[in-house]
Amino acid sequence: MKSHKAADMAAGPYNYSYIFKYIIIGDMGVGKSCLLHQFTEKKFMADCPHTIGVEFGTRIIEVAGQKIKLQIWDTAGQERFRAVTRSYYRGAAGALMVYDITRRSTYNHLSSWLTDARNLTNPNTVIFLIGNKCDLDAQRDVTFEEAKQFADENGLMFLECSAKTGENVEDAFLDTAKKIYQNIQDGSLDLNAAESGVQHKPATPRNPLNTDQTPNKEGCAC
Amino acid sequence: MADKDPSDVSTNQANNPLTRKLNKILETRLDNDKDMLEALKALSTIFTENNLRSRRNLRSDIEKRSLAINEEFLQSFQAVKEQLDSVYSDVKEMNECCQDMTNRLKAAKDQTHDLISQTTTLHAESQKLQMKSQVADAFLNKFQLKSEEAKIIRGTRDGALHPEFFNALARVKQIHSDCKFLLRTNQQTAGLEIMESMALHQESAYERLYRWTQNECRALTGDSPDISPVLCNAMKALLDRPVLFKYSIDEFGTARRSAVVRGFIDALTRGGPGGTPRPIELHSHDPLRYVGDMMAWLHQATASEKEYLQSLLKNCEVQESQIEDVLGHITEGVCRPFKVRVEQVLLSEQDAVTLYKLDNLLKFYHNTIRQIVNNEAALLSTLTEIQDLSHRMFFNSLTCNANKLLDRVELPPPDLGPTSSLTQTLQLLRDVLACHDASVVPIDDKKQDFKQILSCVVDPLLQMCSVSASRLNSIDMAAYMINGIYLMQSTLALYEFTDTRLEMLQAQIEAHVDTLISEQASFVLTRVGLSTIYGIVENHQPSQGPLSGIQGMDPITVKSAMNKFDSYLASPDSLTLPQCSLILSALVRDNAKRRAVDLICQAYKQMYEAIYNPTNEYKEPQSIVPRTPDQVVKLLS
Repeated sequence: MKSHKAADMAAGPYNYSYIFKYIIIGDMGVGKSCLLHQFTEKKFMADCPHTIGVEFGTRIIEVAGQKIKLQIWDTAGQERFRAVTRSYYRGAAGALMVYDITRRSTYNHLSSWLTDARNLTNPNTVIFLIGNKCDLDAQRDVTFEEAKQFADENGLMFLECSAKTGENVEDAFLDTAKKIYQNIQDGSLDLNAAESGVQHKPATPRNPLNTDQTPNKEGCAC
Repeated sequence: MADKDPSDVSTNQANNPLTRKLNKILETRLDNDKDMLEALKALSTIFTENNLRSRRNLRSDIEKRSLAINEEFLQSFQAVKEQLDSVYSDVKEMNECCQDMTNRLKAAKDQTHDLISQTTTLHAESQKLQMKSQVADAFLNKFQLKSEEAKIIRGTRDGALHPEFFNALARVKQIHSDCKFLLRTNQQTAGLEIMESMALHQESAYERLYRWTQNECRALTGDSPDISPVLCNAMKALLDRPVLFKYSIDEFGTARRSAVVRGFIDALTRGGPGGTPRPIELHSHDPLRYVGDMMAWLHQATASEKEYLQSLLKNCEVQESQIEDVLGHITEGVCRPFKVRVEQVLLSEQDAVTLYKLDNLLKFYHNTIRQIVNNEAALLSTLTEIQDLSHRMFFNSLTCNANKLLDRVELPPPDLGPTSSLTQTLQLLRDVLACHDASVVPIDDKKQDFKQILSCVVDPLLQMCSVSASRLNSIDMAAYMINGIYLMQSTLALYEFTDTRLEMLQAQIEAHVDTLISEQASFVLTRVGLSTIYGIVENHQPSQGPLSGIQGMDPITVKSAMNKFDSYLASPDSLTLPQCSLILSALVRDNAKRRAVDLICQAYKQMYEAIYNPTNEYKEPQSIVPRTPDQVVKLLS
């Protein structure tokens, strides 16, 4: 019966082994929400409104044969929301830090975003640098080499993407997940600790016959 | 034989019969006549010697030979005839034999006829029986559980669920509903019996399924519950038993509820692995961060719980409201620990600006979380209560501030400028209103808030100014009030939704400016000695007789006053009230000055016209008032 059940688990959209929590950060207007939309809906959202506070999207991907559900929290870039969005770094397994290759100012602010990300997440959080809008090469204001160097110096993964054409968007999200998965395999990420940003669902189900192993913890006094 | 001399032929006439015969012979083409050739060949075998004797005997030889051949022929046929005769006798015998067999067969057929018909009947019967057996099998297939299915339904003692359980259950259900067809036919007894047994199967199956589901759900207390496809199917199957479905989903809700509470407490007190991210309570000294982190955690947890719930019910067609009800139950547990903490923060916070920021933060999350849970959820009503409290605490703090202002009213400073408590309070107002730029609440709320904040701050301020000015003379009071109100006005002018307030303040400034300018004008007139004269001119009635006749209005007195006025015109600033120059706003100051001059000019004009009026009987008015009003206006402006 168990083998049967395990085979069942591989099918169906809801059946996944892990949940990874991501956060997307970066200046206003760099295209964070568009990246998320492109990734979850595979469509470009023109005239995207400013994000109010935070929004979130999900998608199931596959890494090394394991189904992984990504729960992606998209934060508002506007300064006035900074106090609100800071609270969402907690427990993120991956942080996508986005700048706009046509606006140098958004690149210049990266160090402050990076400081936030380092201070507010756990040390194993994978930080991925994304230079968005690479379809607008004619208006480029930050070279690939420069950003690549910044990424290398700070130990970040890096790609230039376009939420409009979809170029590299998939890779940025997948590579982050692969890195997190690798950390789990290496044992550098502790799954049992709360707020690691990764939640594991065991592939082999619990023994259904054992009914008294988990007494109901109702009315937790706190 | 053909060797005739051709010369004979040519010499004879054609009419000669012999000739004709010869001709005919000659025309005969022997090589074409096969019979003739054969005959000649045969002849050549016996006619070996061409001599006279043999030529004479040829005919008889041939006849002899012919006779011999015929004899031989006859002999040969004699044998054939004898054989034919024997064949004939054989055939005849066979015929007799066959006849005999036919007769015997006929007899046998007559004898077996009964047997055959009996066999046919039996055969037909067997076919009928076979058909019946097929029907019975089909019936059993359709209306009876297979033994293994029944076993699956009954289950094992340990309560585990066979993967085929749902198919078996579906079959039980199908059979049960198919029985309705039976009831429509004349197989009612069978129908009823099967229906009853299926109902029993169904009941026990649902009971087992419910127990299993309940246990599964009860165990889902992990950070991230493992919702197996079997459990999803179980929920779907239980949908047919709404009560059991409700109980199961409640069980799930209760398990998740305790998981969320545990997660919340962990995030508050334990933080992430190795302490990063740090426990939320470590930031409890920073109220905004503390409350914000808790709210963000709740927001994320609520969103995740909704996903788990949707994942559990992915196969079931349930209404969104049902999901939201369960979600409300799940998130209910955290309400108390959350509320206690936020209340503590709010009650211990004194600073109005922080309170207002908290109020805005709570408002924002109220809006955010309202998009995930429904209005009946305890989490939302808790948020409403807390937000209500924060609102009250904020306005309490503002009112407290205002009360302090009125309790200890400062005396106006000598320069009649704003008091320090006024500037401090306005700074607070500025800080509070500035929070709104960084806030995230809808514009309607903002407008409502602004109104309330303004009445909470500006009204007491105005009151305080009035109280503090109450011991001043009217000129000082006017200048002091103008300064105070102007400061408020210029502060408010920077913000939205302040138009009506600004208008009200402007009107108050105008009123005080009016007081000030009339004081200024009368001050000038008094100092040059024109005030009595102007008073008489203003109140003069024709019945009193000419002005020049009234006491104090004789040309000499008037003239000396006018001379003094003339020296005022030479240096108008010498008679400006000190309070007027203490007005802080250059605009208001200039405006007041201009309007005071207007008043003086108007008074002068009135006096000028009265003196020039012949009925007032002044001689040589020109010597009394040498300057025309226009000149005065020019000099003063």
